[in-house]
Amino acid sequence: MIEVRALAKSFAMPSPMRAPWPLASRKRAALGDGDDRGARCIHAVRDVSFTAPAGQITGLLGPNGAGKTTTLRMLAALITPDAGSMTVDGIDVVARPREVLATMGVLSDSRGLYPRLTARENIVYYGALQGMEPDAADARAQDLARMFEMTELLDRRSAGFSQGERMKTALVRALVHDPANIILDEPTNGLDVLATRALRESLRWLRTPAGGSKCIVFSTHIMQEVERLCDSVVVVAHGRTVASGTVPELLERTGETDFEEAFVKLAFVADPSSAMGSE
Amino acid sequence: MRRGLATVMTVFRKELRDALRDRRTLVTVVVASVFMGPLVLLAISGLVASLETRAEQREVYVSGLAHAPTLRNFLERQTYTVKEAPVDFEARLRTSKFSDPVVVVPDDFEAALLRGESPVVEIVSDSANQRSESSSGRIERLLAGFGRERAVLSLALHGVSPRLLEPIEVDVRDLASTQTRATRVTGILPFFVMMAVLYGALNAALDTTAGERERGSLEPLLMNPAERWALVVGKWGAVACISMLIAVLSCFSFLPGQWVLRSDTLAAMFQYGPREAVLFVAVLLPLAAALSAVLMAVAIRCKSFKEAQASSSIVVLAASLLPLMSVFDLGGESPWHLWVPALAQNALMARVLKGEGLGPVEVLIPLGVCAALTAIGVWYVARQLHHAAVR
Repeated sequence: MIEVRALAKSFAMPSPMRAPWPLASRKRAALGDGDDRGARCIHAVRDVSFTAPAGQITGLLGPNGAGKTTTLRMLAALITPDAGSMTVDGIDVVARPREVLATMGVLSDSRGLYPRLTARENIVYYGALQGMEPDAADARAQDLARMFEMTELLDRRSAGFSQGERMKTALVRALVHDPANIILDEPTNGLDVLATRALRESLRWLRTPAGGSKCIVFSTHIMQEVERLCDSVVVVAHGRTVASGTVPELLERTGETDFEEAFVKLAFVADPSSAMGSE
Repeated sequence: MRRGLATVMTVFRKELRDALRDRRTLVTVVVASVFMGPLVLLAISGLVASLETRAEQREVYVSGLAHAPTLRNFLERQTYTVKEAPVDFEARLRTSKFSDPVVVVPDDFEAALLRGESPVVEIVSDSANQRSESSSGRIERLLAGFGRERAVLSLALHGVSPRLLEPIEVDVRDLASTQTRATRVTGILPFFVMMAVLYGALNAALDTTAGERERGSLEPLLMNPAERWALVVGKWGAVACISMLIAVLSCFSFLPGQWVLRSDTLAAMFQYGPREAVLFVAVLLPLAAALSAVLMAVAIRCKSFKEAQASSSIVVLAASLLPLMSVFDLGGESPWHLWVPALAQNALMARVLKGEGLGPVEVLIPLGVCAALTAIGVWYVARQLHHAAVR
């Protein structure tokens, strides 16, 4: 189970006008909203909260630049939040990041592979970094490859992989240690219809008790994905959680029958901060 | 800690395998570093051999030979072959088509000599023409010998002791051993070995840092529960290992390189055996470790491989220019040289070539400096790693 409460993060904006003293500009950036005396900062995440229970797929839905990737990066302990709290299976992410990472499989925004290594070597490397024995990691790579229909890719070098093949390899790499929590940042980017379907099937299976009742959080900006796959949806816009619930609940709340219309209403019209955004 | 060491080994093995699979780069570096040294040695030996053969030829080119039978007689008594210079010798000297200096004798040489009027004899050479310049000293000494003989004869005719002409006797004693003399020629070799170490480390150092950022593989790497220091130490170990491998190859390449030496004198002077090769390697290993860490520290700040190449050129430039300090520093080897990386290794390798031993201080100071540089570099990369992954 993943719980995120009132998460916030801002970055100092790297602009050519930035003061030549990085410390000074950082200090000014930290002053935040009301301060715009030359210092500019981006509030990537202002107030994001959600709970993703085990055995469910939680969709993080939002337009481009809503703060989804930053939220997931904070969850993966890559950046420290300015405010808020995050726990994974009751473990605090900021305080004990490595314990959290051991229970988590993350497919992040950047999913680069090592082109001179084979898919298998790429996967087993991550298994070893997770503390697995090489044989166990290899067997697991084999199993997952069968599941994602990429067995014939395993012993090819990843240099010539297509986008979809790279994506599959990165996904298997993230799942090699059989994590209880799975975080996927726009996983269907670059996948064709068949591959997207296969991924959807795999995720559905992973949330069942037979698949391990995984807690799956997955970010996207594609409505169909959410409608077809997610048990609950968290709508994020301008760095804030603007709504959450199941798809029928959100339709009901907005009085729409089309989920796309409902999303536009929630993310763009009903956003309270869009009128007073100071960035 | 045990988990950390396991991570170090995992990362080390992966990075080493990755780097060794980059065949094209590796082959280029190996060819350049391993064959460069012997090739330079070959070129030097070719030059020395050509100087030697010319010294053995004992030829003098004279313009206006017919006007100076006395001089000709003297030169031939010194077992020199006297040849008439070509008419256009000045033009040919300028264009380096002619490689011997020419003695120009005036028309009235013989008559002026008899009258005691000191006729002017010119030695024409072109200082831009290296080969003619190198033998003009020999010709000058030869003509001085002719002058001295004439003077001694005249004095003897007047009943004066020739001793008056030589109030002191000059004897030259050269303290340099054969090996020390050879370093005048072979002193450039440490530079090539050091470049090999540098270029050995360069590619792997950039690939494991800036390359990892460019590929977008650094961010997922950091989403493993591995300690940062362990990741960086593993990477550094692989980079240093490759650099050291190139260092060893480069040092030992001079052993077969010696067989092709064309100059016997140089072959006799250039004493580079397995002992020297091992000492070279021992001097270079700490440098390889330090350079790897420094290059990684420079490259981790760069977003792309290309940007990292531009930034690392400063390190490359420093490492190739620092050894030149010993050339500019006319005071010779100063104690502070040992504290400067690259310069220290250059000095130590020069000592090995001279056949001098290395004392504990000479070994420990550069070793300490390199260890400190390595620690700082690795620490800096570990500190920057998270920042680099998200930016």
